[in-house]
Amino acid sequence: MKNRIKVYRAMHDLTQEGLANELGVTRQTVLAIEKGKYDPSLDLAFKIARFFGVTIEDIFLYGDTAEQK
Amino acid sequence: MFKIVYNGCNMKRNTFYLLAGIVALAEVGIFWLSVEIERPILIQIAFVLGVLLIYGARRMVEDRVEDERTAMITQKAALRTLEVFWVVFFMLSLGSAVAAFSRPLGLRPPPPPDPNTTHTLIMRITEPDVLPFDLFGRFAVGQLVLLCLMIFLYVGFRVYYARKYGEWDTDEEQD
Repeated sequence: MKNRIKVYRAMHDLTQEGLANELGVTRQTVLAIEKGKYDPSLDLAFKIARFFGVTIEDIFLYGDTAEQK
Repeated sequence: MFKIVYNGCNMKRNTFYLLAGIVALAEVGIFWLSVEIERPILIQIAFVLGVLLIYGARRMVEDRVEDERTAMITQKAALRTLEVFWVVFFMLSLGSAVAAFSRPLGLRPPPPPDPNTTHTLIMRITEPDVLPFDLFGRFAVGQLVLLCLMIFLYVGFRVYYARKYGEWDTDEEQD
C-alpha cells in the first residue's frame, strides 16, 4: 500500500520524529509506513489522516488507485 | 494503536543490563548450591524470583518505547517460535514417556530381605542412592538444550521481522 505521508509531512514542515510524537508512535514506525514496509492499523491510519486534516484515501493509496495516480 | 513510554521510574538501560547479569550469576551460584544440598526447589524458586525481578526491572527502564509495530514484531516472533517448538517439546516428551513406560514403573514393593544373610542387608544400606542418568538426566539436559535453542530461534525471528518491518532502515533525516 502506497502513501503520501512524506508529502503531507513536508507540507506541514514536520520531521519524522515530530510526527511520531504527535501520533504517539516511534520514529521507526513512521519511517516504516513511509517506505511501505508496514501498513498501519485502521486506528493509526485515521489518526494520521485527522492530524493532517484530510481523508484516509488522500494519504493511503490502495492497489489500483495507487497505479492510477 | 498505542504507544507505551516507560519513563515513570528511573533506571538506565545499562543499569538494567548490569542487574540482569548479576541475577544470571546469582542463578548459577544458587544452581550449584541447590545441587550441593540436593534441594531442587531452591533453584526452582530462585529462578522464578529472578525472572520476576528482571521483568519488573525492565518496566522501569527509562525511555523504553513500544507501539503497534514493535508489538506486532514481538507477537509474530513469539508465534513462529511456538509453532516450531511445541512440536519439538511434544516429540521429546512423547519419546521420554515411551522410554519411561516401557520399563517397570517402580511401584512394585522391594523383595523382603533374606533373614539368613546379613550380607544383603549391609549391601543395601551402604549402596549409594543414585538416580539413573540414562533416562532422567538425558531428559533434563535435552530439555535445557531445547530451551536454549528456543531462545536463539526467538531472537532470530525477532531480527528477521524487525528487518522486514523496517526497524533498522535509515533515511535522509538521520544524516
